[in-house]
Amino acid sequence: MRSDYLKPALLLGPLMLFLLLAYAIPFLGVVRWSVTLPELGVSNYGRAVTDPLIISVFIRTFRICFFVTVLAVAMAYMIALVWVRGSPTQRLIAELCILIPFWISVLTRAFGWVALLSNRGLINTWLTQLGVIAEPLTMVRNELGVVLGMTHFLIPFAVFPIASAMRSLDERVLLAARGMGASRMRTFWQIFLPMTAPGILGAAIMVFVFSLGFFITPAILGGGRSVMAAELIYLRLFQSPDWGLGAAISVLMMLIVGLLLALLMRYAKPGGMVK
Amino acid sequence: MSMEFEKETLEILSKKVDNGQLSRRRFTQIAAMLIGGAPLALKAKGAWAAANELVFVNWGGDAMTAYDEAYGKAFATEAGVTVKQDGSGPTEGAIAAQVESGKPSWDIVDADPFSAQALGKKGLMEPIDYAIVDKSKFRPGFGWEYAASTYFFSYIIAYDASKFGDKVPTGMADFFDVEKFPGKRSLYKWGAGMWEAALLADGVAPDKLYPLDLKRAHDKIAAFKDNVVSYWGGGAESQSVLLNGEVSMALIWSTRAGLIEKDSGGSIKFIWDQGLISPGAMAVLKGNPGGKENAMKFIASAQDPKKQLVMFEKLGQGPANPAADALVPADQKRLNPVDPENMGKQIALDMAWYETNYGPALDEYTKIIAA
Repeated sequence: MRSDYLKPALLLGPLMLFLLLAYAIPFLGVVRWSVTLPELGVSNYGRAVTDPLIISVFIRTFRICFFVTVLAVAMAYMIALVWVRGSPTQRLIAELCILIPFWISVLTRAFGWVALLSNRGLINTWLTQLGVIAEPLTMVRNELGVVLGMTHFLIPFAVFPIASAMRSLDERVLLAARGMGASRMRTFWQIFLPMTAPGILGAAIMVFVFSLGFFITPAILGGGRSVMAAELIYLRLFQSPDWGLGAAISVLMMLIVGLLLALLMRYAKPGGMVK
Repeated sequence: MSMEFEKETLEILSKKVDNGQLSRRRFTQIAAMLIGGAPLALKAKGAWAAANELVFVNWGGDAMTAYDEAYGKAFATEAGVTVKQDGSGPTEGAIAAQVESGKPSWDIVDADPFSAQALGKKGLMEPIDYAIVDKSKFRPGFGWEYAASTYFFSYIIAYDASKFGDKVPTGMADFFDVEKFPGKRSLYKWGAGMWEAALLADGVAPDKLYPLDLKRAHDKIAAFKDNVVSYWGGGAESQSVLLNGEVSMALIWSTRAGLIEKDSGGSIKFIWDQGLISPGAMAVLKGNPGGKENAMKFIASAQDPKKQLVMFEKLGQGPANPAADALVPADQKRLNPVDPENMGKQIALDMAWYETNYGPALDEYTKIIAA
């Protein structure tokens, strides 16, 4: 019993230590900046929660991340379904769809979307030549572009937890449902989907938290008008050096993410949903 | 190996480093191999490290090779000091982070003069040593306490001529006039030059620009917002919005204008009228690892008009040393922001204003463009 308990601790120990050193300690430095620069006190937090720019950027960040999460998880679910339950050929195609974008850098992918979506990009050129549209559609340099670019980047990350939930599903339950006369659709909606819900939730949490920190994609596809939290922090730290306020925004971001995660864990209880 | 032999070898090697035949890093490696331990190597390094290497920090991309070609290689031969190029982008915050860490790894930065001045007054930069750097090799008014003028660029109007027929824009009023010049626009994300452009378009006389009436500038930009499709943050982005046809006009760096003209086969043109000329400068970090004196010598060596001409040819930078103007080939003069003919049409950004107002002004600007 004791050794069973000890071993994981030993194995995880180095990682925990590394995370503590590489992450927690520098973050404490950021916390210190937020209350000491330019002077001791919580004035930076006061500014952060009253500044209309910061508030609007936070709202935009959460709005964009929410859409990205919903889209990425929905598409990842479909891909995962094919990947786990499709025919060997279908699986191969799904695997390529997941892995190829996964290996390409975020920067390249952002520029890829620009090439595809800009006014003289592939889509607009085709649509114009086909006579569907007269004027090019504006698809990048706005929130639409940011949502597309981020969703595309995050789909593979959502696929893995969902696929793992699908793989660990007990197939006999599905057979039983079919055996009892449930249609395919009904088996899916009433058995398969609820039983893979923990995977969906896990994927959603991961994608959402990951998306909050996005920097390059919004900077390139947002055209400077869709500034998100990470870029705002960059602005405070590097462009208009105001480390105290930048640090305060970072700390607030961490608190909000922590709170969201805690709420999700508390009320959604991954695994606890399967009854 | 005897201690004597090791010492002898190290001495020879360190001379080579002095002459620039060997890099400091390589020396340390050899030294470490020879003595089988770091302490002596570190000690040896401490003795001359400061004297033999400088790290020059610029904004990356083509600048890395250009700075090396124009200034770095020559300095290694002339002064025996290796100059390493670092393209990480010395924003004001990044420089402050370097110095405040207590152990900067940067020596010289390609910085906005107003950033260097603001940092210098906080005690984070070395004052320029005008006993070494020659003030007479600057254009009048372009040398500062903590920053030495090294080049010029401009915020100018570039436009897609294929969209305007025979019409040619003549200034900022045309940039802000979408009836006369239809199509979307692109502005600079970090504000500099944009306030001036808005005020000029709004009818402020060029000599009455400073101190900038920010409220008026921001009102003008806010009212124009629907016509702006992108706020570019880097040169490549400004090129792509024009080349992709996303905008018909953009305020871009003059250093990119010649490139876009070429890449577009001449359909994208630019004008100097009401261009906003901005100085670039070199500045030295307080307590820089390579030593203050070498850093100043490097800046002085970069005042050579022939070297500045290389930067003009490679990056389109307008030379800081007026003596370089005459060296610019006749057919290239139109690309030089500080060529007398072009300079006369432009207005210089007031670095003193930027030094005290840039941070808060940028906050307000961001509020407007990102709201």
